[in-house]
Parts: sequence; C-alpha cells; structure tokens
Amino acid sequence: MPKVVSIHSYRGGTGKSNFTANLATTLAMQGHRVGVVDTDVPSPGIHNIFSLEPEQAPVTLNSYLWGEAAIEEAAYDVGGAAGIAAAGRLFLVPSSVKADDIARVLKDGYDVKLLNDGFRKLVKALELDYLFIDTHPGLSKETFLSIAISHVLILILRPDKQDYQGTAVTIDIARQLNVRKMLLAINKAYSSLNFDVLKQKVEETYGAPVAGIFPLSEEVVQLASEGVFCTKFPDHPVSQEFSKVAAHITAEG
Amino acid sequence: MSKGDFSALASSIQAVASPFRQYLNDLHERYQGALDGAVADYIPELALADPNWFGICVVTKGGQVFEVGDCDKLFTIQSISKAFVYGLALEDHGRDYVNSKVSVEPTGEAFNAIVLDEATNRPYNPMVNAGAIATADLIKGDSATERLKRMLAMFKRYTGRDLDVNVPVFLSEKATGYRNRAIAYLMLNFGMVTDRVDETLDLYFQQCSIMVNAKDLAMMAATLANGGINPVTGERALDEHYVQDVISVMLTCGMYDYSGEWVYRVGLPAKSGVGGGITALAPGKLGIGTFSPPLDAKGNSYRGIKVCEDLSRDFGLHLFNVAKASHDLDDWLTGSGADSW
Repeated sequence: MPKVVSIHSYRGGTGKSNFTANLATTLAMQGHRVGVVDTDVPSPGIHNIFSLEPEQAPVTLNSYLWGEAAIEEAAYDVGGAAGIAAAGRLFLVPSSVKADDIARVLKDGYDVKLLNDGFRKLVKALELDYLFIDTHPGLSKETFLSIAISHVLILILRPDKQDYQGTAVTIDIARQLNVRKMLLAINKAYSSLNFDVLKQKVEETYGAPVAGIFPLSEEVVQLASEGVFCTKFPDHPVSQEFSKVAAHITAEG
Repeated sequence: MSKGDFSALASSIQAVASPFRQYLNDLHERYQGALDGAVADYIPELALADPNWFGICVVTKGGQVFEVGDCDKLFTIQSISKAFVYGLALEDHGRDYVNSKVSVEPTGEAFNAIVLDEATNRPYNPMVNAGAIATADLIKGDSATERLKRMLAMFKRYTGRDLDVNVPVFLSEKATGYRNRAIAYLMLNFGMVTDRVDETLDLYFQQCSIMVNAKDLAMMAATLANGGINPVTGERALDEHYVQDVISVMLTCGMYDYSGEWVYRVGLPAKSGVGGGITALAPGKLGIGTFSPPLDAKGNSYRGIKVCEDLSRDFGLHLFNVAKASHDLDDWLTGSGADSW
C-alpha cells in the first residue's frame, strides 16, 4: 500500500521545504519510489532545492488544476539532481512561480476535490510507494485535505512560543480530522539546548512523538544552500537524523 | 471561525477525502468506457441524449452526499415517477382502496403490455404503465392543475428542490401515447379508472416528463431509506406506514421484466426509467441515483445496473445478504480503518 506523508508547519520559515526534500530523498535512496507535490501554490519553493528551473518545468500543478494537463505530465524526475544514482525513484510536481499563475489561483481558487483526485492519479501513474505533500504554512482547505488523507502527518516546529501555540491549534484540528499518525519534528533548535529534555518536554506538551530534532547550525545552512543535504553529506549527524525520521515513516501502522 | 464553521468545513473535507468517494470515482472510471446499450428513441427528445453522460450519486441516511460525474445534468424521470406517485396515492386513499384498484403482482411482461388481471380486471402492479395510469387516476385534486401541483409538491419533499415538467417531452409523449391511451380506455371499460381519462393521461404524461438529476434520484431513494424523511432537509415526504409498501413494489416490480434477476443479483429495491435514471436504496443505509442514457434490451440503464451490482456486492447491500462484505460501509464512509490507496 502506498503511503501519503504530509509535511506541515503553522508558520513560515520553519525549513519545511528543505525538510521535505531531504526526507523524500532519504526514502528514495533506500530504493522506494517517491513523489513530492508542492501544494504551496501561493509561495512555491521546493523546486529550488531539487535544482529544477522553471524553464525546465513548463507543466506544473497549476496546469493540472486548470484542466490543461494530466498530473503525471507535471511530474519531473529529480532523482539525478538530488544525487540519487538510480533513475525513476524521485519525482517532483512543482507549482508555478509565474506571478500571473499565482494570482490566478489566488483569485479563482480551485476545487479541492481535484487536488485529491490528482494525488491518487499520481500515485497510480508513477507507482509510488510514498507521496509527500509539501503544504503552505498556516491553515487552509488544502491543509485540511492533506491532513485528512495522510497516513502520516509531520508537523515541523521551532522551539519558540509562537510555534508552540500554532502547533497546538494544528494538532487539535488534525485530531478532529481523525489523522492516522502524527509525528513532530523540531527544526532550528539552538545547539545549547539539551535535546533529550527538549524532546521529552515537547512530547509531553502535545502527546505526540518527536521523530527528529534538527539543530540551528550555520554550517548546515551554508552546506545546504544548494542541492539536497543528505545525499551530499550522508554521514553528517543531520543526515542521520533524517534517517531516523524515515524509519518512523516506513514502520508499520 | 466558530466551532460550527469548523465542523462544516471538516465534514466537507472528510467527504472529499472519504475512501467511499474514491470508490465511486473508480466505479465511474470503470464503466465510463462501457458502450453497450442504446439511447431510447421512441420520442425524439429522448434520442437527443448523449450516450456518454454518466453520473453516480449516493446519499447516506445521515445526509452525506457523494457525487461523481454528471450528477447535475437534468433528464426526464419517466417510469421512476411511478413508485413515488404510488406512495402519494396510498396517502390519499389508504392501502385497501389502492389495492382494490391496482394489484402488486410482478408480471414478467414488458412495461407497456396491455394486460389486466382476468379475475379482478386490476392492472398487475403500479410499475407497469397500466398500473401507473390507474395510480395517477387516484391522485386527489379538484382540477388537473391542482393534481399536478400536489405531485410536484410531493417530489419536492423528496428532492428538497423545486422540479419542473419538460413541456416539449410532455407534448411529445402525449402526441405519441396511443398505446397508453388504449390501456386507459380499456381500464375505463372495466370501471377501474374514473371517467376523467384524458385529464389523468395528461397527468401521467406530465409526471413522466418531470426533470430530475442523479442527485435528486439519490436523495429520493435516501428519503425512502430513511423512513420517508429527507435526510438533508429533515422534511417528511411519505407517511412512514407506506414506506414499506412503496419499496416492496420497487423490489418486486421496479426493473421491468428484469425484476426477478435484479432481486437475485442486486437485491435492492429500485426503479428505473427510460430517460436513463435508476433510483435504488439500501433501507436504513443509503440511496443511490444513477444517470446514463444507454438502455439494455429490457429498458434499464446499462451502466446504472453495473454500478448497482458492484455497490451491492462490495458493500454487502443485498437485502438478504448475511455474509461479511469485502468493504465495511461505515469504515469506507468515515475513512476509519479503510485504506483506499
């Protein structure tokens, strides 16, 4: 059975797209067939991490939502760019970065049913083992949908008060939508913090497991400026942490 | 966002994400390409239907609505009206009187057969044309207009929206309805209908020319499945004592001379019409409305039958099913437990 994994954060700037790209790549490296859909239609970004230039990707998620293309036509093999040797393992469906396209989606909206049908068609057409949904920060219809259809919901938060509150709201909604499995990931944690204490505290606060803690590190930011970190530096502790999160996702149940 | 707003949004998202909706999508995809059957052409208006039109709608007892394909496309209700008008006649006169005018025996004859029960001169059942015309004769009202208005008001209680008669179809049915006229006069000869024959025939042609869509048919079936109360509006459409009368004749006589095999294979009370519609229900559970104009040799919608067969089998909806179904309806509706990926 394919698994749908939604990555969400209440606020922007949590490093959601970077996290999604690395986690998806980690699973693809393990031999799984992985798709990533950028549903952050108002502010697309994950294509940058996979070095997919807008000129190389004329067909986008927008084209599908407007009935101009099948969703699989908007899927690009980004495995090579991510540093995976084997082809046909990692696909990205980007959103359009053209100002007109973004404006059109914001103005006219789209049928959320279509998005749901698109996810399913993509999983079938590309025979995916895992589908990652990168969402727009905050709460919206798309967020609700991605939460409702996910096998695993990963909430990314930074250890500060604003994120704590927002995450609490999201968790409440996710529980009401009968989310099947929820994981927390803490990003940009100060290295001075005791990670074990932090993990315990966050788990107690939300009643959900923390699957990984990622430090705020200048070194990582510099190294990760281009390409996917975990394939470039597979032995780095951050890459190991992604493997730990991946193990939570591949685990049964 | 108030709590109410949130639940409304959450419930609409859950309906979108529901594995059951995905099941219906797959069903639609499976049969969209099926090209068997032919569009009815006995009147020109029906022949204009596009054979590709195809809608499936399911309304649950709890009022959840699932739609796939052409569910808003309007078409004429045709014979499906017969079951519901029978309910109105029962309310107007009670069971005994209605029974004295129309029997409830399946015929095995075609829907337009000119045949009456030899011992009592009653038409065999309210689902064949003879029985439907005798039933329309029973609808109370001081004038043709009032009788039609009462019928339309009754349909509105089932569908939750105003319905209209398609006048060109009505006139076309009226202009070419020689056989139905013959049936009506034969029944007048035996004293089984009153002498307002032309008015009743007009009413009958009008009831067949009411415009509905697949969603209406699902809502009507769901209303019967819900004991006569529309699950969305909460309005009562039929006295609860007569619900079992209506669905019994649907079960035994609803699918023309395919009714026996229908009960065996599908086991759901249903009524089909030559416009391409089928309304079917799983009592206490849900209503199904399908629309696809191509008809099989018995006059039932080809794709509609396929859809009902699959739904009945996969969710164990057959009335007499005692085996565990491959799909648990509640799980598939709520998404808990069922994984449609």
